[in-house]
Amino acid sequence: MRSIKINKDVLKLIFERLKASHRVIGPKIENNVIVLREIDYDDIPAGSSDIQKPSFYRISPDKKDGIFSFSNGTDSFKRFLQPPLREVFKFKKSKKSISITPSLTKEMPIAFFGIRACDLSALRLYDRIFLEGNIRDEFYYSVRKDLLIISVNCLYPCDNCFCSSMGTGPEVKSGFDISITELRDSFFLDINTISGKELLEGLPFEEPNSNDADERISRIDNCRKLIKKSVPFNELQRIIYRNFEHPRWTDIAKRDLECGNCTQVCPTCFCNSTYDYVHISGISKKTADISGSRIRIWDSCFSRNFARVHGGNFRPSRRARFRHWMSHKMAYTFDQFGMTGCVGCGRCITWCPAGIDITDEIEALRSCL
Amino acid sequence: MYDKYLPFEATIKWIKKETRDTATYALKINKREIQRSYIFKPGQFNMLSIPGIGEVPISISSSTIDHNLMHTIRIAGDVTTHISRLNVGDIIGVRGPFGSSWPLEEIEDRDLIIIAGGLGIAPLRSVVRQVIANIRQTGSKKAYASNGDRIILYGAKTPKDIIFRDEFPGYRDSFKIYLSVDKADPEEYWRGEIGYITSLFDKISFNPLNSMAFICGPEAMMQSTIKELILRGVPGEKIFLSMERNMNCGIGTCGHCFFGPKFVCKDGPVFRFSDIENLLGINEI
Repeated sequence: MRSIKINKDVLKLIFERLKASHRVIGPKIENNVIVLREIDYDDIPAGSSDIQKPSFYRISPDKKDGIFSFSNGTDSFKRFLQPPLREVFKFKKSKKSISITPSLTKEMPIAFFGIRACDLSALRLYDRIFLEGNIRDEFYYSVRKDLLIISVNCLYPCDNCFCSSMGTGPEVKSGFDISITELRDSFFLDINTISGKELLEGLPFEEPNSNDADERISRIDNCRKLIKKSVPFNELQRIIYRNFEHPRWTDIAKRDLECGNCTQVCPTCFCNSTYDYVHISGISKKTADISGSRIRIWDSCFSRNFARVHGGNFRPSRRARFRHWMSHKMAYTFDQFGMTGCVGCGRCITWCPAGIDITDEIEALRSCL
Repeated sequence: MYDKYLPFEATIKWIKKETRDTATYALKINKREIQRSYIFKPGQFNMLSIPGIGEVPISISSSTIDHNLMHTIRIAGDVTTHISRLNVGDIIGVRGPFGSSWPLEEIEDRDLIIIAGGLGIAPLRSVVRQVIANIRQTGSKKAYASNGDRIILYGAKTPKDIIFRDEFPGYRDSFKIYLSVDKADPEEYWRGEIGYITSLFDKISFNPLNSMAFICGPEAMMQSTIKELILRGVPGEKIFLSMERNMNCGIGTCGHCFFGPKFVCKDGPVFRFSDIENLLGINEI
């Protein structure tokens, strides 16, 4: 890894260079929320900040110094690697044949601009799910293999962040091409890969001195200190596995609205369902031929029929469905993929209409161990 | 690399009606190269796909020696209803094979107890046929479970619901077979047991420390038979069971089949009892 320092206006040059060869996905304000879209450099809400509390999100009217002054909004980067709705294949079926055309579209490679440490951990989990199993997901692979990642070290956490206790942030440690740390009057860049190095080739830069390195560390440390929420990381599995019948689950079920917001905003939630869509123009009454497409859409384990089989439902109660969701985040993924399923981004707390705070619930379960 | 999300074509070679709502479908994979690379083990399942309707996970009920790929299907939902309307020569989509398999390599020199309830006999028929074929191939000396007893305990609702009833006489050379039904019509001739499947345990003798049990059936039935086996002294590591969940993708990317921290589609469907012992007792996991 190599580190350099650039002037603030050089970042735009990097961005424009990136834009020539990639679809650059980054933060942008849309409908008063910071979302992730394909953006231009000027779309970045520089100086904006957001106020996040349980069930509360507002863009703050106050402006802050710097460019990356905001924290995560609703979107996580998962929607570009595992889109909310995607066609798996097109089919044509008659009695004597089925023809299938896979829908792997060749689009420009994607670059993530401004991905945070928490989301990068989520990306790591996604890689383990979709690439590193026995069988890899070809669509995911087709996007992932050309992915360029420009990450950002968080300087201003929101009130719902708890990445420091999950061990996922706020500092980006691996899995990036270039990592940006915003200093007072420059950017400190860590270059991790050859593609990252190539992107910066020929641009003006300075060698960072020890003051810059110190400033970088102190800024990240400062961010770490600003994080208010925490969970007892080392006890998580014990807390969950010992408390499947804890009365707190029933208590949560009373507040839970089963809207599934948490699963949609969670950067690690990956559950999906497949459906067959038959195009009405594709039905021939005479020959009983049909054509259509199989699509995969995000699903949520809060859906009532999520665990349904012909003879019944494995999780008919709301209590069980919430418990399943939270247990999966906080305990199961350690067994399944050897890493945390909750990255501490706090999105589920912000976007829960009932204001259910996952860190409070862990604390409540823990207190009765 | 072959994309596991894409079904391939298979032709229905023959259909055998087992009971009023269950039938066995023998499939032949159309494409030569897929046929050649398609290797499964008893206990694994396929996703059967009817484009336009959907997909269902169905366990393979044939052995690897059988000429055709067989699935024994009960009419339960949209896809299985549609499959029941298909005829010989029709095409069906197949993805697979997925999941874990029965540990046939572990049954050598042990008593093998196969316990099935209802349609749960389907993935175990695969084992039965595999063992029998193995005995024929190698002579009884080196066959699976050679030195021990081979026992099948099978429970069904009524005598009419017994699947593979016509095949059992053929299996009796190699297996001791005990059947029980929940209730039998008095007008019907029924020599077997009437009652719960665990009542069959009184009829059999085996060396518990040297036995292996393969179980598949409704979850409550599996729990009670496991309890019985443990009570007799069969070690938990030697009990295997096949779980049911609504597998949707087959490769661990959709999340539908979670059984606690286990993916039933890739860690299962066949689990070692001692591995999931703690999960089995939890309601709605």
